[in-house]
Amino acid sequence: MIHQDSRTLLEVRGLRAVVNGIEILKGIDLTVRSGEVHAIMGTNGSGKSTFAKVLAGHSAYEVTGGSVIFEGHNLFDLKPEERARAGVFLAFQYPIEIPGVANSHFLRLAYNTVQEQRGQDELDPLEFDDFVREKMKLLEMNPDFLDRGVNEGFSGGEKKRNEILQMALLEPRVAILDETDSGLDIDALRIVTNGVNQLSTKDNAIILVTHYQRMLNYIVPDFVHVMHAGRIIKTGGKELALELETRGYDWVSAEQRAVAGA
Amino acid sequence: MVTSNSYLESLLQGRPQLPPSPLAWFNHLRANAVDRAGTLKVPTTRDEEWRFTDISPLAALSLKPVRAASSLEAADVERFYLPEAKNRLVFVDGVYMPHLSSPTGPDSAQDPEVVVVTDLSTAVLAHAKAIEPHLGRHAGFQDNLFAALNTAFLHDGAVIIAPRNVAVENPMHVLFIATQSGAASHPRCLFIAQDGSTVTILEDYVTLREDVYVTNAVTEVVLGNNAQINHIRVQRDSAQAFHIANCAVSLARSSRYRSVSVALGARISRYDLNTRLEDEGAECAIDGLALITGRQLADTHTCIDHAKPNGISRQSHKCIVDGAAQAVFNGKVLVRPGAQRTDSAQSSRNLLLSAKARVDTKPQLEIFADDVKCAHGATVGQLDNEELFYLKSRGLSEVAARNLLTYAFGAEIIERISIASLRHRLEQTALEQTKKTEL
Amino acid sequence: MSAVLQNLVNQPYKHGFVTEIESDIAPKGLNEDIIKLISTKKNEPAWMLDFRLQAYQHWLTMEEPKWPNVKYPKIDFQAISYYAAPKSKKKLNSMDEVDPELLRTFEKLGVPMHERAALAGVAVDVIFDSVSVATTYKQKLAEVGIIFCSISEAIQMHPELVRQYLGTVVPVGDNYYAALNSAVFTDGTFCFIPKGVKCPMDLSTYFRINTEESGQFERTLIVGEEGSSVSYLEGCTAPKFDTNQLHAAVVELVALDNADIKYSTVQNWYAGDENGLGGIYNFVTKRGLAKGVNSRISWTQVETGSAITWKYPSCILRGDNSVGEFYSVAVTNHYQQADTGTKMVHIGKNTRSTIVSKGISAGHSNNSYRGLVRIAPTAAGARNYSQCDSMLIGDKCGANTFPYIQVRNQEAKVEHEASTSKIGEDQLFYFAQRGIGSEEAVSMIINGFCKDVFQQLPMEFAVEATKLLGFKLEGSVG
Repeated sequence: MIHQDSRTLLEVRGLRAVVNGIEILKGIDLTVRSGEVHAIMGTNGSGKSTFAKVLAGHSAYEVTGGSVIFEGHNLFDLKPEERARAGVFLAFQYPIEIPGVANSHFLRLAYNTVQEQRGQDELDPLEFDDFVREKMKLLEMNPDFLDRGVNEGFSGGEKKRNEILQMALLEPRVAILDETDSGLDIDALRIVTNGVNQLSTKDNAIILVTHYQRMLNYIVPDFVHVMHAGRIIKTGGKELALELETRGYDWVSAEQRAVAGA
Repeated sequence: MVTSNSYLESLLQGRPQLPPSPLAWFNHLRANAVDRAGTLKVPTTRDEEWRFTDISPLAALSLKPVRAASSLEAADVERFYLPEAKNRLVFVDGVYMPHLSSPTGPDSAQDPEVVVVTDLSTAVLAHAKAIEPHLGRHAGFQDNLFAALNTAFLHDGAVIIAPRNVAVENPMHVLFIATQSGAASHPRCLFIAQDGSTVTILEDYVTLREDVYVTNAVTEVVLGNNAQINHIRVQRDSAQAFHIANCAVSLARSSRYRSVSVALGARISRYDLNTRLEDEGAECAIDGLALITGRQLADTHTCIDHAKPNGISRQSHKCIVDGAAQAVFNGKVLVRPGAQRTDSAQSSRNLLLSAKARVDTKPQLEIFADDVKCAHGATVGQLDNEELFYLKSRGLSEVAARNLLTYAFGAEIIERISIASLRHRLEQTALEQTKKTEL
Repeated sequence: MSAVLQNLVNQPYKHGFVTEIESDIAPKGLNEDIIKLISTKKNEPAWMLDFRLQAYQHWLTMEEPKWPNVKYPKIDFQAISYYAAPKSKKKLNSMDEVDPELLRTFEKLGVPMHERAALAGVAVDVIFDSVSVATTYKQKLAEVGIIFCSISEAIQMHPELVRQYLGTVVPVGDNYYAALNSAVFTDGTFCFIPKGVKCPMDLSTYFRINTEESGQFERTLIVGEEGSSVSYLEGCTAPKFDTNQLHAAVVELVALDNADIKYSTVQNWYAGDENGLGGIYNFVTKRGLAKGVNSRISWTQVETGSAITWKYPSCILRGDNSVGEFYSVAVTNHYQQADTGTKMVHIGKNTRSTIVSKGISAGHSNNSYRGLVRIAPTAAGARNYSQCDSMLIGDKCGANTFPYIQVRNQEAKVEHEASTSKIGEDQLFYFAQRGIGSEEAVSMIINGFCKDVFQQLPMEFAVEATKLLGFKLEGSVG
């Protein structure tokens, strides 16, 4: 929600990025304040996922222009793990499988790393087990997932829940959810979005990257941005998402061309 | 012990009588192969590639080259014909039989839209440009004695060329019939699917008599960009015969090669299938079934060579071994440096039906790229007890349950054959061969 | 490969120092006189010399194996010294008499030669170049009837036992390097666990090559009588030299009815530098005979060192219901080559074997698993399960799997599975996005990958192995 004493968390100005020599982001501007929920929508290839990965610092994407200030610091001065520890969280579109590494071990290590960074207490395996089981209830996850390899053999929906579980553990400042709704049936979508809503506070912010309006019925955005060809070409309220759902995306880019032409 | 030279001499005897071709490169290829054959030795079990297959009984034979083909009439061989196949090439003891064959006509030479199905002597003159870059270029004979011998005898053969962007609807049937005792024949095939074309080809080895003879085949298969070949190979030679075959497959970008090979006959059979994914995005699916009994030995050596990125390979090889027979499988998957995102899965499954049956299997992976997904598995064993129990609990006798499961084990491969009449025939054969009678 | 990955695999070798100690070295070269010299120096009985000479005659007729997937220049067997021993003036009576320089060497390597030392509860036989320099806890073990001493001592003190078993599992002419070892072995370890005795502590041998131009040819013989059990550990290191040293050991295990022998190795011989210069050629024959009913032989190995490893710890499962196990982690980096695996030969009825092999390749190295599972016609009801996984770090290395499966009995069941995985940018990015740095990520992934094998190691070894892998791969990932 938008509120009075909110602070600026993320300030993106003129962000440009290339991958394999092709420019994907061509000047993105976006301001995210605490308490806000932003939805970034657009067709395949518009640059949505690239934007998410650039914020998290994936090495395949080269930033060629612009700036991103995160809580007063230059985000690009930080390595990917430092961004994570500082509170930038990315829920992956395709979470990778890491066979052999127990999920519980991985989650505890991630949790303790972030706790240490924040000067807070780390948990031993037993304490952590109680703690994580509590969090798993929020996502209606079977505790068996703790004993399996990270995402190993998880269904698409289970992987997405595991991502949001990590968000619940790490309590990020800015959480970017990259197509978290894809591959979820309606029950799973309800559970996952309910989890996200409970994690949303007036001190943090959520950026939803999505294709469809469906998820926005559950997580109501304060702002909806339309991305096209590497730029945000239109920003509106939650009603814009409904309009996109019924009218598609073409009219937005046509409108944009008209404005540019005028 | 028989020295390799006398054996080679006996095999090479007939060669000088081959008429020279008007094409210099053709004669040259043959001459090179003769030279090479003269320097190579008959492999023994001391050679890693022949470790489990002892071919000394073959080297001990005294063979005669085929001088004249038996005179056969259509009535003698009709039972081997396929109703689905409009074009058929028939060879008797390796010699081309125009009167039994139905090749495509001479118009195929003019019309680039028409598929070419003809014998090698005709094709090499009419389609030299299409053939020269491939004939003898894929099935290397530098260190392969049998390929060298076959190439030294290069004369008759089957040529099929699917022209660019043509999807050939009917399957092509290449039929090799053995009729003479003590004969050595050298069947040769060249199958080319030009860019964007699709074709189904049956390479079929049958016999008219239960006798000792040697078949030494070489097949070259070439796929252009985005082409597809469904290659079915059935070997039903005499249970006393020797069947040695080399097949080399070359896949261009995004092409798809699907192969099902079934080995039922021969006292000793050896099939080397080398599939090379030469360009990005090529796919191959290679399936095999050896169904053997008595004192038969069936050896299948395959190599799937991923030379470029994004290739996909799938392989399922099954052996059902009864009597005192022996099955050998050596399946190599090679992922060369740079062949990133290769996705390969291979399985070797073997069923032993008798106390004297034996199997030697070696599925091997050689990987030189890090971003790949490769898996292989091998099993040797008997029928699953749970499955047997389930069938018996539904009233089937032990024998009936066993027969059913054994048949199903092999049928999984046969079902992948796209030609219905052949599939039914093989299913019938498998059913008979896997059937044990009630005690 | 990114810099982080690079740094992770390229840690310096920590055991590469040379000890300055006076050595007694035999002249280079191999002939009957040298063999007689070795035998004389060791004051051996005539049957032992005959054993050696017979092996030597065999060796002369043999050729070096060509089938392993490794490449190296031809070894000049006449340029090697076949006997090197630290000089000592008299026979040692207690640990206190060991040369302090030697004691310091092994302390530096973390090997406890004092019985009061940190690794309490493990008895150690220490082999320096060609000879055993110390054996701890001998007395205590003798109280329960266990013989644990150097093989030279055993030849003197228990000739009937050595003679009964030596060469029965690995015959003198078994293979090229085994024949060489049988001709020239200078020392090694002998363990004898009598009927019904469960060895109260882990037994261990620590091998150290120190001399540049000597080969190391040790011989280990472990016999477990009916109903006995023992866990045995082996560790090895060598100094850094630019030349290659040959290590051709033979290990024989014999398990009688209901006996259980567990043999664990952490092999960290010098692997050569980052350009492939120097390092040990580790050509080893290890074989266990599960001779009695219900006996068990279990091999666990963590192979991180050596320029070239050629090694197939094997089990001959002769006793009905006997069990063979092989758990292996082999790590190669830089220009290392490893061709390693196992042989499980099933002869007895209802014999069972398990193979778990994990190969990790980095740098320009080449890592091959080669395994044989043979089910003899007599082995009704035999079972084997094999799992061979490879992990590649970077795109300049190779991983190969050569499983040979030979089944001669229809009532047997053999299963083999293999897979490949990797550590790459995407895996590391996922960890980084959760705040976990790449070193920790690599260590987690590798430990996860090797978990099934590390579980089999005795506790102290497991800790050491985990650390070793960390060092080994430091710098290779990223």
